[in-house]
Formats: sequence, C-alpha cells, structure tokens
Amino acid sequence: MHIPDSFIPITQGAVYWVIALVFIVLALRWVKNEMSEEKVPLVAVLAAGVFALQAFNLPVTMGTSGHLVGGALVAIVLGSPFAAIFVLSLVLIVQGVLFGDGGITVMGTNIINMGVIGGFVGYYGYHGLLSVTRNIYASAAGAAWLACLIPALCAAIELAIAGTFPLVPGMISMGIYHALIGLIEAGITAVVLGLIVNSRPDILDHPTGAPS
Amino acid sequence: MIEDLFEIERLAYGTSPLHRLDARIKLIVTFGAIIALVAYPVNPSVYYVALVFAVLLGLSLAISRVPLRTFLARILVILPFGLSILLFQVLFPPIPFPTETVLTELPFGVVITAEACAKASMIGVRFVLCIGFIILLSSTTRIQDLLVGARRLGFPSEFTLILGMMTRYLFVFGQMFLRVRNALSTRCFDPFDRSLPYGYRIRQLGNTIGTMFIRSYEQGERTYTAMLCRGYGKDAFLFVPKKALARSEWGTLFACMAVVIGCPLAVYLLFG
Repeated sequence: MHIPDSFIPITQGAVYWVIALVFIVLALRWVKNEMSEEKVPLVAVLAAGVFALQAFNLPVTMGTSGHLVGGALVAIVLGSPFAAIFVLSLVLIVQGVLFGDGGITVMGTNIINMGVIGGFVGYYGYHGLLSVTRNIYASAAGAAWLACLIPALCAAIELAIAGTFPLVPGMISMGIYHALIGLIEAGITAVVLGLIVNSRPDILDHPTGAPS
Repeated sequence: MIEDLFEIERLAYGTSPLHRLDARIKLIVTFGAIIALVAYPVNPSVYYVALVFAVLLGLSLAISRVPLRTFLARILVILPFGLSILLFQVLFPPIPFPTETVLTELPFGVVITAEACAKASMIGVRFVLCIGFIILLSSTTRIQDLLVGARRLGFPSEFTLILGMMTRYLFVFGQMFLRVRNALSTRCFDPFDRSLPYGYRIRQLGNTIGTMFIRSYEQGERTYTAMLCRGYGKDAFLFVPKKALARSEWGTLFACMAVVIGCPLAVYLLFG
C-alpha cells in the first residue's frame, strides 16, 4: 500500500507531510526520553532489520503472496506506538529514496498510514484485545490484522479525497485484499511474539503479558 | 527488493560525470523535478512537460552510463500498485466528468470513457517519470554521499545520524536475509509448497523471521554499547565538513533548475 508520487495532489501531500513530521518529532522525543538512556542507535539498527524482514515473500491463501509490514510487531515488543512510527518512517524513507517504492511528495501520507495509524492501531488494538481475551498471541494476531487492514482503508480514503481512486469500489477492493494479506501478518506476528517470549522475554515491554 | 540493494550500491560506485557530481545538486534537481511534475495540474499540456523531463532524464541516464536494462527492470518492479490504482480510475472514475465519450461498455454497467483513460494516462506518465528520477538518483549516488549531501543541505543532524546508522546495517541484514533464504532452500523448504500443512509453513517462517528480529535487536544492543564506549551521548552528531560548490557545479545546478522550473511554467503559460 505504498502510494506512489503523482496520485496525491501536491497541496494535500504537503498537509500529510506536516502531520507526519509532527509524529516523527514526537517519536524521536519518545526514543530519547522513554526508552532507558539514549537508545536511538538500537532502534535505528532494528529498523534496518525490519527492512530485511519485509523482504520475505510469504504465502497467503489462493495463490497470492504478501510480506510483513511489522508495525504492530514493533509497537507491541517495544511497548509504544511511537516505536512503530520511528522504525517505519526510517524504512519508508529508505524505500522511497533508494528504491522508488512509495514517493517523495506522498511519503508523509505513507508514514501516516503505515507508521502512525498502523502503530497506534497495533499497540492499542493489542492492549484492548488483551484486556478482553487475556491471551497475548490471539491479541497480537488480532492487532496485527487490524494494523494491516485499517491503514489500507485509510490509504483508499486518502486516494478518494485526492480524486484518483473511487471511494466505494476502492475501499472494497483494498479492504478485501488487505484483509487477506493481514492474515499472514497476524500469523507471523503471533509466532514471532511466541519466539520472543520463549527466548528473549527481557526485550518485551511487559514480559508476563499483562498490560502495563 | 533487498537483492537489488547490493546491485544499486555497486552501480553507485561508477565514475561517470553524473556519479562524480556533488550529491547536493543531484538531490535538489531530483526532488525539484518530482515536485514540479506532481505540482503540474492534470491537463493535456502535462505531456509537453513530461516530454522535456523525459529528455532530461534520458540525457542524464546516457551520461551516467547506467545500463538501460537494469534501469527499466527497477522501474518495472515498482509499477504494479500504481497501475492497479490507474486501472480502477479507468473502470470506476471517482469524479464524474462533465462530458463523456463512451469507448466501450463492459458487463455489470461498467463504462469506459475516453476522459477517464486520458486522465489515467496523464497521471501514469507523471508517475513513471517520478520513479525514473528517483532510481537514477539512487543508481548514481552512494548512500553515504546522499547522507552527507542531505546534511550539507541543512537536513537535521539527528536524522542523518540515525539514517546513516540504519543504512550501514541494511547491508548486514541484507546479507543475513540472503543467507537465511539459502539455508531454507538448502533444507528444501519452500514456503509456497502446498504439500506441507499451512500451519507448519507459517510456524517455520515465523520462527525464521522472529530469529532475524531478535538478531537485529541484539545487533542494536551491541552497536549501542560499542558506541557508548566510544563516547556516544546525547549530544552526538554526524560531523560533515563544509564544502563549497565549484563554479561549474553551480552552472550545472542553475541549468538543470532552469529546465525543472522554467519548462513547466512556460508550458503552463503558453498552453494552460
């Protein structure tokens, strides 16, 4: 769902950029203040790792394939939606400037969709589901699925506002496609969380699984 | 995408005049061209602008001696999502056009109009050119030069420090990804193999991805500790010595920017 250049008018792109920059600054402040000490380098290196993880081609049902976005995973493990914003902004800048995947004028839009919305939905979705289900794997899977679906719907709405995408057919097609892709994101996120709980529980924000 | 990373950086180590040009000029011209293209209104005169920009891109490509095949292959990888949006745009126009010329009628009441096709092709031309400019930038400029250039242009030090650290480790994890993928295929594990139960494949892939996640976290911890030992702290920044542009570089910058700004303005004033 990397919206490319020229699909969003420059003025709207600028508005999204300003909003995205606010969240990037907040995320930077979070890394500096909330994570113990000055752990900026750690998150930067983790971002490179997330970029590599996204390269795995994963099977989804009916012959389609997808790949991980990882926003929900990062937000859950590091315990803040700002972690996802920080990591995904870095990944999107690299993808946009080096590979042309996503654009320059629309980069703000993409950061809002995948980083900000994906991060907040992933984090609060996880804690919301956790208080209901009391099962960290089910909540992580549910949150990851939502963190894939909702940004895609937002992208469809933004494209509709831009006048380049029809609203209803667009939301239906983006919704169905990402609801399918989201299944793999959900499954992988739950398995990865399980692995972390078993092997490095100390890096989890809340090792016991109880909401902080 | 990650397989391309090494190829891109190898290409960026070329010696053509475009490779040697200061990264600041390339950054300004590339971003300027993309902004100018996106800012140009969607009306038929955009084709004139696109033609001039395509000539600029073609000339730069010729000077840079980046193989055309690699260049086109990298553009092709990026196209699918944009093209699918354009297809929707043609099938279900989001904003009704005042006059409609019906080309064909498909079942389920879907009507293809000439206006929708024209709009889609105008957006499509801008879209492909934007990708072309970005790919030319990354195939002629090393990542480190991009960062230094961005820093010299006034990009905040905090971002360049973080981005620099991230891009350095991109290659480490790129290699790790290729090794892990080789290891999986050596064990004859194919994630798309339907004879294996789906749950099993997901668990295997999840564990592989989880291992890489933990390894990159641990690499981050090690890097962080190592940097602390060397005096990294709150006030650390990426030191970039100042460097003035030579007169010929100013000339190139002004010539390119004259095209990038002048051409769309002239076309807009002449043809509307």
